[in-house]
This record gives sequence, C-alpha cells and structure tokens, in this order.
Amino acid sequence: MSSAATLPRNTTRQAESPLHGNIARVLHRLTGTVIVLFVLVHVIAQAVLHAPALASLKAVAPWLPVMQSQHWVHAVLYFSIVFHTLYGVKLLATELGFRIEYRNALWSIVAISALVGMREVLRYAGV
Amino acid sequence: MSTPSSITVTAEIRRYDPSQDAEPRYEKFQVTGLSNMSVLDVVRSIYDNQAGDLAYQFACRVGRCGTCAVKVNGTPVLACQERCKPEMRIEPLTPFPVLRDLVVDRTEIEGRLAALSLAPEREAAHPREPEPITPELSAELCKMDSCLLCMVCVSACPAVEERAFDGPAFMLKLRHMAKHPQDRRNRLEQAIEGGMLECFNCDVCTQVCPADLSPAQAIREFRRELIFGGARRS
Repeated sequence: MSSAATLPRNTTRQAESPLHGNIARVLHRLTGTVIVLFVLVHVIAQAVLHAPALASLKAVAPWLPVMQSQHWVHAVLYFSIVFHTLYGVKLLATELGFRIEYRNALWSIVAISALVGMREVLRYAGV
Repeated sequence: MSTPSSITVTAEIRRYDPSQDAEPRYEKFQVTGLSNMSVLDVVRSIYDNQAGDLAYQFACRVGRCGTCAVKVNGTPVLACQERCKPEMRIEPLTPFPVLRDLVVDRTEIEGRLAALSLAPEREAAHPREPEPITPELSAELCKMDSCLLCMVCVSACPAVEERAFDGPAFMLKLRHMAKHPQDRRNRLEQAIEGGMLECFNCDVCTQVCPADLSPAQAIREFRRELIFGGARRS
C-alpha cells in the first residue's frame, strides 16, 4: 500500500541539494518583476517615441527605445512570461486538487521557458 | 563489504549562551572519522573531545524522535540522518529562540500544539470498543501520524519567515485531525487562523520532511475544501 507509514529516510544528503521550492519561488518573483519592469519601460519608450510633449526625453535617455529591440531583452522577457504563466497555472492546478510532482514540474517549466527564450535569440540571429 | 574511507570534517558551530554572550559567535572544529559519519556523530565527537560545554540534544539516533534537528549549511535537517560534509556550518533551527548553542526553546511550539487540541473531539463518548474504519483511511492516518514534529519544515518554510503563518507541521497535524472520522471540530477554521492561506505552495516542506510526508499537500487539501466545501462545522 503506497500510503503506508514509512520509516524516516536513511542517510539524507539534504544540505547538499538545492531546495526546489525556493528556486521556484524566487524565479516566480523574479520573472514577475521582469514583466512589470518591461511593461514600464515599454510604456515610457512608446510615450517618448509618440508623444510630442515627451520627445525631449529621447535625448536624455537614448537607450530607452533601443532597449525594446535587444535580442537578450526579448529572450529574458519571453522566458519570464512563459515561466510566470506556467508556474502560476501549476500553483492553481495543485490548489484545485491536481497532483503534480514539484521537482518535475519546476524543471519542465524551466525547460519550456528556456526553449521559448532561446527561440527569440535564434530568431534575431536569423536561424 | 568495503570499509568507508576516512574524512576530516571542518565544522563551524554557532555558539551562543544568552545568559553570558552578547552576540552569537562561530567556532571551528575539525573532526576526523569515517566518511559515512552523520552530522550528529560529528557534533558528539566535538562534545566528547573538544568542547565539553557545547549544548546540543538528541535521543533516538535513528530519525524517529526529531530532537536533533539543526541547520546544516542553511538547510534544516535531522543531524542523526544527515551525512557529514567536509565543510559544515551547523546552526540551531530558526526562527525559534535559542536556549544555548544548538538547543532551541520548544515551549512556544508545545503551547501552540496544545492550543490546537490535537485529539479527536467526539460527538459522544468513545464506545470502548474498536470503531470501524476503512483500511485505506487507517493507513493514511497512520502515515500522517508519523510526523516527528521536528520542526524541520517550519524552519525551512519561506512563508513562516515572511508572513503570519504558524508553519507546515501544524497544518499537517490539523489535516490529520480533519481526516479523522470521529473528529467533529472545524479544523479548516483552525488552519485559517493559523495562517494556512499565507502558504506559498512551494513544497519546500515536502522536500525537507524527514518522514517523507507532504505538509504542502495537507494545506492544498484544506484550500480545496475551502473552495469546494466539505469542512466540518463545530
């Protein structure tokens, strides 16, 4: 019977391995911050480009519009969007009763997000 | 069977006696022994040979009592079960008050457990004969009851650190009672009062639990009950 009482783990090496939950939690927060920051930069950059009243800012911060077309910015942004969405869905699904193994879930979501991020880099490289 | 090789361990132990020291300090010790030594073996060797005034505690040495829980390199573990590392920083469990060195004050924990009233609250007196229960539920309750209350999960929980949350072990104990067929108390309400909704659902408690339990799953079951109903009313 799988739910039978178990003896404690014999000889653990817990302090050597990363805590997956902490990695997931920190990544979820980081990716959320990246998304918010990008939206902020995007709104300001669009305003600088299109609102005549803010046109003077273009000279002060010339890097602002350029930021949006950097391949690494897109790669990080796409990674962040996919990771934040999928991990959020995973949290929701587990709360609703679906059993999802936390290690597999984390690394699968990281892999999918990394693939999407890589795709952006390759797209810019013309591959 | 081959003999384990020898290893020299450098252990940095947090020393602190609130009655004497203004601040905690770290003392380094070197212990040579077999490479399959546990962290507890190292601490005991230090106590026996190098620092007779070191305060630490243990009882069963086989991972059944949860007394020897400490933090090793920042991760809460049972010292008797965790394999020693060449470089170790050994600290008492956080966020509990330290009595001395590696010994934490469990008074508040015991008080909180007592306040939760973790015995089935029945409608009528016990019939003084075995009550029917399905083998599956019985096995599940037995497994949940194997929680050592070592507080390793509470120490590792990031929500305990950041928010008003009692901790995963208390939620698991409440869930254990909620599943008990004879218990009539509203355990969901108690769990909410204990900060169940503050849990990040990160499963750190599941990973560190020395008894292979999943307090996070217990919290998820409570949350599901909160959304879809099914809680007992007292």
